[in-house]
Amino acid sequence: MKNTKMTLSARTMNLDFVRKVEKLSGTSVRRCFQCGKCSAGCPMRSFMEHPPNRVVRLLQLGQYERVLAGRSIWYCASCETCSTRCPNKVDLAAIMDALRKCSWDARGPSKESFVQLANRIFIENVRTYGRQYEMRLAAVFNVKSGQFLKDIMLGPSLLAKGKLKMFHQKNRNIHEIEKIFSRIEELRRKGGAL
Amino acid sequence: MSRIGVFVCHCGENISRTVDVEKVAEAARGLLGVAHACDYKYMCSDPGQALLKKAVAEHRLDGVVVAACSPRMHEKTFRKATEQAGLNPFLCEMANIREHCSWVHEDRDEATAKAIDIVHMLVERVKRNRKLQPISVPVTKTSLVIGGGIAGIQAALDIADAGHRVVLVEREPSIGGHMAQLSETFPTLDCSQCIMTPKMVDVANHPNITLHTYSEVEEVDGYIGNFQVKIRKKARSVDMARCTGCGVCMAKCPQKKIPNSFDRDLGMRPAIYVPFPQAVPNVPVIDRVNCTWFKSGKCGVCQKVCGPGAVDYAQQDEFVVEQVGAIVVATGFNLYDISEKPKGSPIKGYGEFGHGKIPDVIDGMTFERLASASGPTGGKILRPSDGREPKQVVFVQCVGSRAREKGISYCSKICCMYTAKHTMLYKHKVHDGQAYVFFMDARTPGKGYDEFWRRSIEQEEAVYIRGMVSRLYQKGDKIVVMGSDIAVGIQVEIEADLVVLATAVQPRQGAELLAQKLGISYDQYNFYSEAHAKLRPVECATAGIYLAGACQGPKDIPDTVSQASAAAAKVMTLFAKDQLEREPIVAKVNERFCVGCFACKKVCAYGAIEEKEIRDRQGNLVKVVAYVNPGVCGGCGTCQATCPSKSVELDGYTDEQILAMIETL
Repeated sequence: MKNTKMTLSARTMNLDFVRKVEKLSGTSVRRCFQCGKCSAGCPMRSFMEHPPNRVVRLLQLGQYERVLAGRSIWYCASCETCSTRCPNKVDLAAIMDALRKCSWDARGPSKESFVQLANRIFIENVRTYGRQYEMRLAAVFNVKSGQFLKDIMLGPSLLAKGKLKMFHQKNRNIHEIEKIFSRIEELRRKGGAL
Repeated sequence: MSRIGVFVCHCGENISRTVDVEKVAEAARGLLGVAHACDYKYMCSDPGQALLKKAVAEHRLDGVVVAACSPRMHEKTFRKATEQAGLNPFLCEMANIREHCSWVHEDRDEATAKAIDIVHMLVERVKRNRKLQPISVPVTKTSLVIGGGIAGIQAALDIADAGHRVVLVEREPSIGGHMAQLSETFPTLDCSQCIMTPKMVDVANHPNITLHTYSEVEEVDGYIGNFQVKIRKKARSVDMARCTGCGVCMAKCPQKKIPNSFDRDLGMRPAIYVPFPQAVPNVPVIDRVNCTWFKSGKCGVCQKVCGPGAVDYAQQDEFVVEQVGAIVVATGFNLYDISEKPKGSPIKGYGEFGHGKIPDVIDGMTFERLASASGPTGGKILRPSDGREPKQVVFVQCVGSRAREKGISYCSKICCMYTAKHTMLYKHKVHDGQAYVFFMDARTPGKGYDEFWRRSIEQEEAVYIRGMVSRLYQKGDKIVVMGSDIAVGIQVEIEADLVVLATAVQPRQGAELLAQKLGISYDQYNFYSEAHAKLRPVECATAGIYLAGACQGPKDIPDTVSQASAAAAKVMTLFAKDQLEREPIVAKVNERFCVGCFACKKVCAYGAIEEKEIRDRQGNLVKVVAYVNPGVCGGCGTCQATCPSKSVELDGYTDEQILAMIETL
């Protein structure tokens, strides 16, 4: 898939997908003229197989499968350096968000990275405790990702410095936070949120 | 004893970087006959010239040597300054220590020694210079314009509107050129015919314009202000005075299947034809190669049906001689041909694009005709092979241009824009079609140009793919285009219905032959050379000849029109005076020694040598000698080099001067 030949025709270019991404992100991919400034400043560039400019280029050609197959969209840190500096006002960070949603909707969690897993546990923690519970985050992530001993040696020193707490602290207004989550779920059902 | 002043210029650092200018001035001061020598940072600047004028007065100089750049650059400047100082301007000479010395050498000591030698030579020459008076020649206030495209039309109208007579010569049966073939024009998408045809009519109706269509320039003689031009009016076989342009002959002509080159051979025309309905003049021409009458002596239908009796099979080529004072060359361009051996070109075409043998691979001009409302398809985009509407069209830019392998290293300048326009025209006519463009760079420097290009991508949804096409081949009724998107780094393949190649802009076929007739220079591609790329962009090095349009280099319509108006302004400047002053650097014959062998006459490129009879008081012929017409002489010195009796000499370059210069070395 990665390097196979592209055959372009009205059939092979999925422009409906591109329009969906454009609608979700509120930005136009056709405006991009491939100057490469996004890739030049991207801090995650070295982890991506498609640099940000190529992600846009593939979208211009309607090649959504190539975009979604890679791990580029999951490695994007949403730092928005690209969107801030783009000379054509292409909001690449928003495009990445839209692509992640499309990918999730279409094929669930990516097999290429654990970013989604980390994100999900992070959000679940917030919903459950009203704030982050790092010990649980690390433990659940390691178990679910199958990397049981990942970063385990960092634990003692973090504990000693008080950066990592053994037990969670619950937010007093947890029901207020639950309201936020419910509202977003409601919006999502209606298609109003990513 | 002469009193010569030597003025050494630093030219910023151009000269002083490699030549020790102070040392040159010092050495000049020691030369015999030099009364004054100095150096200055910029001798051509106002203070520099003031320095020269002051020195002439203070030191009572009788000759000036300016050691600076080439005389082509600043001889005029310094001669003017010398004249203002009260000296005859021809007593001022340039010692070229920039182009001939500092720019070509690196060793400072050697370059300085050479600069001193050059200055010494020029000092010896100036010592022997004579005071000369400029020669006045009358100016014929008629201009010749060669080429009736938009450049020629614009130049002709501008000159004619200024009140001068214009002779417009066009090779084809109608004026209009390439612009008449275009459908719509970038970046405004207004119809080419709509803005072009009124101008064509203006040319035909203008009282000051004499129009010679279906004509070619045969011979050019003379010089600025006084050219004689012989024009061949090719036999039209139709009497222009009688023809009313009713078109019955064309309707009745039995030969109707001749490809019309105006429609890029897509449309058909009869043997008696006008290239397109809006032609100016609206008088048909008989194509003698295809006409049955000329092939077999039978038929004669057009003559029978012609009411006014305008058809004349016996018509012969006519020759007209026009006296003109200036010439505007506006011969335009041709498109590069990808076939195996393009006519008149040393360049081989594109085998990987099928050598022009795939019927649905066309060039940009053919696409213009397809898109034109007056074109062979009535403005419908249809494939030449089967007349179907193409749903996938691939445009390929830079075919021929920027391809050193093909012998053309320049950018054709107009293709990026017209391809963007083509994608728009296509989208407007075929809504469900998709246009793809393979390009290397998009070069859109012009007012509103980049916005236009972006519009074709952002609004008209053309897919631009950066990367050159490697190969095109026929597969069934499709054409497979093999390319690569270098932004992604992946090969791209498109099965196209139609492929449009943006082929390179080249000068007209035979451009070099016309240049030789006119005596103007041309570059390696046969584009005509301007006198100075920046400061004299519309003038030829040959005085009195001006350039307009794509014959000088690839140009779009706005640039062409600007250049044509600029050339017209130059012609008007020339015509503003009744007498033209020209440099008196001409050959003179010493009649005492001339033996009348006329070897000089044979070699003179300007035809300036005449025979002059010398008679005694009783009127008896003593001898016949050569005489140089100073108005015609170009000052090349060929006669001087040829004369066996050493009796012709060029002012400023006499044998005595040359020998004195050599002797200093």
